[in-house]
Amino acid sequence: MSRKLYRSVPVLLIFVIAGIGYLTMGLSGQTGSAGYIPNVKNGDWIAVTGDNTGARYSPLSQITAENFNKLEVAWRFKTDNLGTKPEFKLEGTPLVIRGMMYATAGTRRDVVALRADTGELVWVHTEFEGQRAVNSPRQLSGRGLSYWTDGREERIIYVTTGYKMIELDAKTGNRIPAFGKDGYLDLKVGLVTGSGQQIDLESGEAGLHSAPLVLKDSIVVGVAFKEGMTVKTHNNTKGQARAFDVRTGKLLWAFNTIPQGREFGAETWENGTAAVNGNTGIWTQITADEELGLVYLPVETPSSDFYGGHRPGNNLFAESLVAVDAKTGQRKWHYQIVHHPVWDHDLSSAPLIADVTIDGRPRKIVALPTKQSYLFVFDRATGEPIWKIDESPVPQSDVPGEKTSPTQPIPSKPPAYARTFVKVPDDIIDFTAELRAQGMTNLERVKWANSPYVPYVVGNDRILGALNIGNTAGGTNWPGAAYDPELKMFFSQAGNSSLTLGTLRTPPEGFSDIRYVSGREGTEFRVSEGPGYGSAADYPEPPRGGAPAGPAAATGPRGGGRGAAPAAAPNAAPAGNPLQVDGLSLVKPPYGVVSAIDLAKGELKWIVPHGDTPDVVRNHPKVGPVLADYLKKNNLPSTGQGGSVGVVVTKTLVIAGDPAVTTTPDHPRGAMLRAYDKMTGKLVGAVFMPAPQSGNPMTYSVNGRQYIVVAISGGNYSGEYIAFRLPASELPPTAAGRP
Amino acid sequence: MKLRVLSAAILVLTVAGVCISALQTTRSVRDGVFTEDQRKRGAELVAQRCAACHGADLNGGEEAPALYGANFMANWNGLTVGDLAERIRISMPPTDPDINNAQQRADMISVILSVNGYPSGTKDLESRTELLKQIKIEPRQ
Repeated sequence: MSRKLYRSVPVLLIFVIAGIGYLTMGLSGQTGSAGYIPNVKNGDWIAVTGDNTGARYSPLSQITAENFNKLEVAWRFKTDNLGTKPEFKLEGTPLVIRGMMYATAGTRRDVVALRADTGELVWVHTEFEGQRAVNSPRQLSGRGLSYWTDGREERIIYVTTGYKMIELDAKTGNRIPAFGKDGYLDLKVGLVTGSGQQIDLESGEAGLHSAPLVLKDSIVVGVAFKEGMTVKTHNNTKGQARAFDVRTGKLLWAFNTIPQGREFGAETWENGTAAVNGNTGIWTQITADEELGLVYLPVETPSSDFYGGHRPGNNLFAESLVAVDAKTGQRKWHYQIVHHPVWDHDLSSAPLIADVTIDGRPRKIVALPTKQSYLFVFDRATGEPIWKIDESPVPQSDVPGEKTSPTQPIPSKPPAYARTFVKVPDDIIDFTAELRAQGMTNLERVKWANSPYVPYVVGNDRILGALNIGNTAGGTNWPGAAYDPELKMFFSQAGNSSLTLGTLRTPPEGFSDIRYVSGREGTEFRVSEGPGYGSAADYPEPPRGGAPAGPAAATGPRGGGRGAAPAAAPNAAPAGNPLQVDGLSLVKPPYGVVSAIDLAKGELKWIVPHGDTPDVVRNHPKVGPVLADYLKKNNLPSTGQGGSVGVVVTKTLVIAGDPAVTTTPDHPRGAMLRAYDKMTGKLVGAVFMPAPQSGNPMTYSVNGRQYIVVAISGGNYSGEYIAFRLPASELPPTAAGRP
Repeated sequence: MKLRVLSAAILVLTVAGVCISALQTTRSVRDGVFTEDQRKRGAELVAQRCAACHGADLNGGEEAPALYGANFMANWNGLTVGDLAERIRISMPPTDPDINNAQQRADMISVILSVNGYPSGTKDLESRTELLKQIKIEPRQ
């Protein structure tokens, strides 16, 4: 039962009127709104990934290696008062069209329009979804929104926490009444479990952090589900990609990521298990080739993330790149990156559309960054691999009921752009011989292999789990990578130390229909809900003195707030974590990198550590004294930092912020936004930010001045969009913005 | 005479204020800022309100970071115990941040400090945020 959702905010009428006036003034000095088609080349940023090619590239060139250090904060937009409480995980990438910025923000996932030159709030749109948002598997402010224009009308499109698609008038922030029902589509309509059972519109499992793809007059949208570590059933909601008419909201097509009936690929779910399995969503950015009329769908893992005994077979189109016809949704080709996925490798990143001459032949390619840090490169019309991809034998699971694929695809070219597995002993911590020895001792209770696909184990007190890297967190995760269409180069930041200890256990009686879930036998069972769960603005506070309200109360062993089964009280010495050695990562630096690949040659052009040496390393009593020598010996400027953060590429620079804060002799507690030379990877500049990068950086131009905006948050620092630009004194005399 | 008394009083108060201020601003989590009894009280609360996401041993999980070691220091080194208390007040646990009062937050923080290897002392960690902001979080020696 939905209630009236939209509440106008009278006080903002003034801003709205001001905004209309502002827009009609022709803010950026370009032609008036009639007939204007936004373009990255004009200094706009029209999609989360810049444009529909996924490139995150802008040809803007005012900010250079020579002046990057002179960047100053132009404005900040704090998101604390959007929603009922501040957000500490702001991940949005704003759009900018003709000087107006649009972004998602806050724990209620509001949409804001800001003047891109000053950050002034022009309008805000709020949806009050109540329990529906509380039930969402994807909460908080999301990763962005989308824009459509026919040269006359301008619309902002986004997906709410509760999985409704909304169209707003870009000038006013009001819903477009002609779209769907009073300006919204209930995206839960048409999603099913089992063999076609419609999910409940209020409590049914579906949500989305990413922004829809706007392709001419249609909108293509994916879906995400709960985290798959400890799910209650493998028969949860099934994934789909769907396209809707941008003007009316009419459904144009749907593509089932789990084939139904006799659809292509159904046989890869052996014993008819397609009918009793779910998930396999599309939660990251979708890209397209408008000329070829193809949409590229990066599909994620089926239920559950780490055990597939109830879904024997390769499980198409799980963890597959699928090209579908933009008009019909019909599959043109697909390539499965991981067969029978049981590592949570999800296809996490926007596929990159590129035109490159390879071996003397012009090729239309699609390049897919991955959590494994392999770049899979295909002819985007046919799906044919550009360079050979070998089906390579991989270790096999011994978990009862599990049947892993005997081989997995490993690209012969280009080389991996970060660690794909932990090579023992080469990759083990080596600051000192003592720490190396400790690391090797830790491995005695860990299953490892020199492979990106080490099968999970049923964990107990003798074997704590299987060692993998990048699965779950990346390598390259949702922030994705970038492509420079002029240099024909690929750039990505990648985590190089995101270790996982893969362990399964039987769930408590009655918890799940899955034989094994995440956890270790003999330990307390914990339900993993995923980041942000319980943080939506509408999440109800339990009545004082009573049992907790909301879904947390119904999740059994988790419980959430009070009423949870008391766990063992923590002691001064936490249980040994084999992934850490004396408080440091089990693997040696670099902990995170920025890499460049020459796509014409399929070669790694450069790879450099990204981020300052973490405080915990620099201040470590055993490492601090030897750190300088260690870095020198290994030719490293720093150890870099773990984590996956995005990049933006400009005419001459690759720009990315630190994933973590540090306090160094060069700067107070904070993180740096860094610029690298595209050709060499040399660090050419860095400016201070008070918190780590938590969204993707983007760039645009207003009134002749280039800006860089990035979402920052984390630790004690709540979500903020921060904008940098050069001071007027650094602008050339001809720049329009110079006073 | 009155002026002299007043001047002396001002001098004494100023010196005392400077001393107190100096004391406050030099405090560190290394200085034994909580008691063992407080840690025990806090442990019960942590088990009920934090462990579901951060783990019984505060080792973290998919949805929440570890509250000890490198992960903890990456977020909190250089800040104060008051900053940590504020973060908890605003947002923890996400499902019900209103559940804790200031004393309970201080008790829970004593657990976090303890698992990070900081020593206990003879006086409870105070509950007022403005006082907690005088206690720096820094690496163990």
